[in-house]
Amino acid sequence: MPLGEQSESIGNRITNPKVTSKTSTNSKENENTNKNKKKKNEFEFCKVCKLNHNQGLRHKYFPNHIKSLSNFLSRFRNKLTDVRFFLINPKFLSPHLASQNRFWCVFCDVDIVELHSSFACADGIRHLASAEHVKNLKHFFWKNGGSVDQLDTFMVSDDDVAKWEKKCAALQNEAASGSGGCHGAVIGSSSDIHNQPNNGNIDSFENVYSHSVNSYPSSNSVLPLQFYTNENQISGLSGVHNAGQLGYNTSVVPFEASCSGETSFALQDFAVDKKSHFSTNKGVLDNGRMLSRESSHHGLQMLTQISSVSAENAGGNVHSGAPPPWFEATEGVQIHSIPVLGGVASHSNVSGKSKKLNPKRVGAAWAERRKIELEREKRGEAVRNECDPTWLPNFGRVWQSGTRRESRREFEKEKRKLFNVETQSETPPVKIQPYVSKRMRMEGGGDLANG
Amino acid sequence: MSYLLTSLSKKHEVDSIIRDTIDKVLVLRFGRASDSVCLQLDQILSKAARDVSKFATVALVDVDSEDVQVYVKYFDISLIPSTVFFFNAHHMKMDSGTADHTKWIGTFHRKQDFIDVVEAIFRGAMKGKLIVNCPLPPERIPKYQLLYKDV
Repeated sequence: MPLGEQSESIGNRITNPKVTSKTSTNSKENENTNKNKKKKNEFEFCKVCKLNHNQGLRHKYFPNHIKSLSNFLSRFRNKLTDVRFFLINPKFLSPHLASQNRFWCVFCDVDIVELHSSFACADGIRHLASAEHVKNLKHFFWKNGGSVDQLDTFMVSDDDVAKWEKKCAALQNEAASGSGGCHGAVIGSSSDIHNQPNNGNIDSFENVYSHSVNSYPSSNSVLPLQFYTNENQISGLSGVHNAGQLGYNTSVVPFEASCSGETSFALQDFAVDKKSHFSTNKGVLDNGRMLSRESSHHGLQMLTQISSVSAENAGGNVHSGAPPPWFEATEGVQIHSIPVLGGVASHSNVSGKSKKLNPKRVGAAWAERRKIELEREKRGEAVRNECDPTWLPNFGRVWQSGTRRESRREFEKEKRKLFNVETQSETPPVKIQPYVSKRMRMEGGGDLANG
Repeated sequence: MSYLLTSLSKKHEVDSIIRDTIDKVLVLRFGRASDSVCLQLDQILSKAARDVSKFATVALVDVDSEDVQVYVKYFDISLIPSTVFFFNAHHMKMDSGTADHTKWIGTFHRKQDFIDVVEAIFRGAMKGKLIVNCPLPPERIPKYQLLYKDV
């Protein structure tokens, strides 16, 4: 019956809302639980895997991430081997090598450049020991899930820094107790061609400077102006780090050419003793630990001789050919890491840059031939064949169709035409005759005929 | 600033640098040291030269020198500064939306733009491509009017 049906349907409708409301609450609950289960995270960038992901903190446990993390860390560890070497064996840093001593700290996202250091990797060592770096390192490991024993390979303990500084002081001492002009000798003996033209000047100026500084007492007193306070020099200083040594030296040469004798020793200080100038600065800035190096000129340093620690010698050192201590440390780490991560080594070999260049690259055949030629020249076998004066590189001009070679042929044709035109213009100029029209010619002829 | 970059004024110097730069992009700037746009470009080149030094070499060619005129004609250089890219003595073209793909005319807006362009050329060359697409957006590509032969 329709009425009955209607009433049933109404009844259904009445009950339905309840049902629907129940389902809606259920679905809401479901949503909540879903949300609780799958927190929709914002996309973030993983520095190690170099990709964006929305997995949040779970990402560090994924196998791909673990693989890329071990790659990443081992690469950075390799870059730090230099720093570690200099930690054990400090060496003087000559300014032209400073630009090679820089590295990028991946934990702090900062470039470590050797600005004020007279020892190789000094800034790097100090950075690795700093509290800020350790904090960043720990945060990185928390975020990316490295094992705790690897932490030590990426930082330098305070004890190590103290030992290193003592060794630096000892080294400086030895340098000071050696010949007075040892710094000049160091520069002179370097086979760097950039420094050679300056050598003669440096030695003579150095004597002048050492005498003048001799007359001054210890570090606390005022030292003569050690460099020009004009913008040229500032740009020169920044130029060292941006443009490399070539810029540094060429900026010095015009100075030397133009300056007079009196100011020349101050200039020389800029040219030669940049490192010692900076060490003076540092003496002012740092605490008492660096006091021993404070007096600016290395020849005059009043250093305290430290007794060589016998324990270091007993274990063998670089001179005795013993293996460096960090090798044992890292070997342990490597052995530990390899079984954990399985085929990481093979994976890294594949993923690293292949040493062999792509044989399909542009000009590959030409490059191989040229390399062979250059090697022959180096060995002195083949006489350097004079470059064909008409040789031109493979160049494609702007053209609509055809190959590159055709555009080259066009160019050759044009060149020949140009050449011909030039030779033709050398022929005697055409004789200019007055214009005689046909009618005039006809009339002239007609007159004759008529007459 | 351009004393940091090698400056060439003879044909055989240009020849030898093209022939001796192997497996690296060679960037040759054709221009004059007195022109202001050239100077701006030179500034950018010298700043970036070290950064790209592992895969590119940068050199400057003086367009006023007589010996080099054959190159000026060969490369159809009519506007300066013009930058031509080579890889293994082969000329590399770049499609930057302008009429002339064979060279880069004008300067770069930023040092990073130059580095991006050289990187694009290097990547294309390593894959065997003689022409690459320009990675820069059109607003950072200098516009100019090409003079055609018959105009």
